[in-house]
Amino acid sequence: MKLRDLLRIANRNLLRNKLRTFLTIMAIFVGAFTLVMTNALGDGMKDYVENQVKNREGANILFVRKKFETPNSGRKADEPIEYKEKTQDEAGNVVDPNSYSLDITQMESLKKDLPEIKTITPRFDIDGEYITLDGIKKYKLNLGMLSEGIKQKVEVGSTITGTGEIIIPLALGKTFSPDIKTLIGKDVTIAYEVGQSGEIKMMQLKIAGVATKGFMANGNCFVDADSAKRIYEDQHRNSDGFNKFWNFTFQLDTSNDKRIGEIKRKLDEKGFSAETFADQEKRTYDAIGILQIGLNFFAFIALLAASFGIINTLIVAVMERTKEIGLQKALGMGSEKIFLLFTLESILIGFWGAIVGVIGGIIVGTFANILTTAYLSSFEGYSLFSFRLFSIVWVILLVCVIAFLAGVLPAFKASRLNPIEALRYE
Amino acid sequence: MLEAVNLYRTFTSDGVDYEVLKNVNLKINQGECVAIIGKSGSGKSTLMHLLACLDTPTLGRIMFEEQDVSILSEKERNLLRNEKFGFVFQQFFLNGRETVLENVLFPLRIRGMSQYKMIRAGMDALEAVDLKAKEDKKAKDLSGGEKQRVCIARALVGIPKVIFADEPTGNLDSNTGELIEKMLFDLNREKGITLIIVTHDSDLAKKCNRIIELKDGEIIKDKIKKGKKFEEAQKVDELTKTDSGQTSETSITS
Repeated sequence: MKLRDLLRIANRNLLRNKLRTFLTIMAIFVGAFTLVMTNALGDGMKDYVENQVKNREGANILFVRKKFETPNSGRKADEPIEYKEKTQDEAGNVVDPNSYSLDITQMESLKKDLPEIKTITPRFDIDGEYITLDGIKKYKLNLGMLSEGIKQKVEVGSTITGTGEIIIPLALGKTFSPDIKTLIGKDVTIAYEVGQSGEIKMMQLKIAGVATKGFMANGNCFVDADSAKRIYEDQHRNSDGFNKFWNFTFQLDTSNDKRIGEIKRKLDEKGFSAETFADQEKRTYDAIGILQIGLNFFAFIALLAASFGIINTLIVAVMERTKEIGLQKALGMGSEKIFLLFTLESILIGFWGAIVGVIGGIIVGTFANILTTAYLSSFEGYSLFSFRLFSIVWVILLVCVIAFLAGVLPAFKASRLNPIEALRYE
Repeated sequence: MLEAVNLYRTFTSDGVDYEVLKNVNLKINQGECVAIIGKSGSGKSTLMHLLACLDTPTLGRIMFEEQDVSILSEKERNLLRNEKFGFVFQQFFLNGRETVLENVLFPLRIRGMSQYKMIRAGMDALEAVDLKAKEDKKAKDLSGGEKQRVCIARALVGIPKVIFADEPTGNLDSNTGELIEKMLFDLNREKGITLIIVTHDSDLAKKCNRIIELKDGEIIKDKIKKGKKFEEAQKVDELTKTDSGQTSETSITS
């Protein structure tokens, strides 16, 4: 018997009792719909993260900080932490093992053992007041820094390559000049407060580029590390933790995964945690993935419930069609074909349920995206639901597999029918 | 062509064995028209199911075209039934929602024949039962006689060697029944298809060329029509002793 004929017969059988088939498909629809939505929610988050990070890159970059003592490093969560005496290193700096903030010279000493480290940039904590191009019109300034070695994607111009440079966000660039190309190489003036005194200091910087849209670059201006250092020193010279930093950016002379892995391992031994861009991304993805699995679990329960609907529908169908199955067998249709016929029917139920669920999900999700845009305006580039082809195909396949499994029992029952008994069946 | 050798069939129900057929020996030749009669419970249906490869004997053998079919695999038996046998049942077993033609084509669909050849064969079969005009009617809209004619067309469409008819006129009024009988006998005569009719209708049985009567699972009479009268057929036990040349005596050439 040809598969096409079997499919046609399976379809006709499903159409015999349209209401029953419809209701069974609806049960599957609910499960498939939920699965599509939970996947889309996770994918929406992943898209957002991708948008955030895609503007920054640097394969040879490590983000380093002192390792936190976490409960899984052997210490109980509520166990008191032992105080460690402060020591001095060879250069005469005070080393406080109780603090997570570190001196730049302490970090520089790592270079001795790890010659792969090209530069070390601490994360300077800097604040801006305003930025102006013509000296008349001032705009509020959110200031950040770009550590050495990190590339910021730009619409025009280039990433920061030298000292005294700045990258401005796209919206600001367009405000300065509709033709943002003309801005490259021009000088801007930024202003910042010195200490708590209220004294304002100015700095002239050259526009290196206008940043491509993205989470970090949407409102922030970025300056080079040297300029950031100068601002930092002006702002923090008199404060407590001056020249102590929590976070450092290492630029390596290699972007080879294996060698970076080796460096990470060595840093780990010395009590530092080091992450690449890829690690950071993966960490976020893993968190989203776990959330997604959790959500999918509920959708899966809905599908499981629906699969009992399929079993029920098909068992009733087997009883109704006992005589017909008897005849089909008498006329030479093999048990395996009967089995195939019934599993095809259950797969078809699953398939249509999945298709309706996907269509319903996309419609509802698209509406939800439109409705939530206003609420999510601060998260530019974030859609609540994102529909990826891969996820959709995956949902359809999964539902079909579940439906097939649900069809196995009735199909087996049908295939085991004895033709003589079946023909005699009243 | 179709032969039963020392056939036993035992059914077990609630731990009790029922011997439905006991030592049945039978030989049916190509082109014969055989009626299997007997009261209900005599084992006539079981005998037909065994001959038609729908069931397997507890003991003994079924030979079809010199081959022991009781040792065939399920797949081979399915193929045999599909290609060599046709079935006509008392209860029609048509799919009411499908068209007449689609019902007739079903055995060929199982066979996996090409669409073009299949439809030609289907139309030929419908022509043979005079239902060509109703090919696209739904089967449920037909009268009882028409339904049974569709069944005959379905039995015929695969060009079988044997047609098994289980009470073919049981659900029909006598006029329609006669039409169906005539149709079956014509097929037997004109196309040489061996006809095996299971019935308790003695009038129908008498129109066949051979009557096999069963009682309590045993053949008690096996009569062959000679002219207008029936005569006792040669015992199969004796047949098996003689060589094949002599067995041809029992074949019917009416």
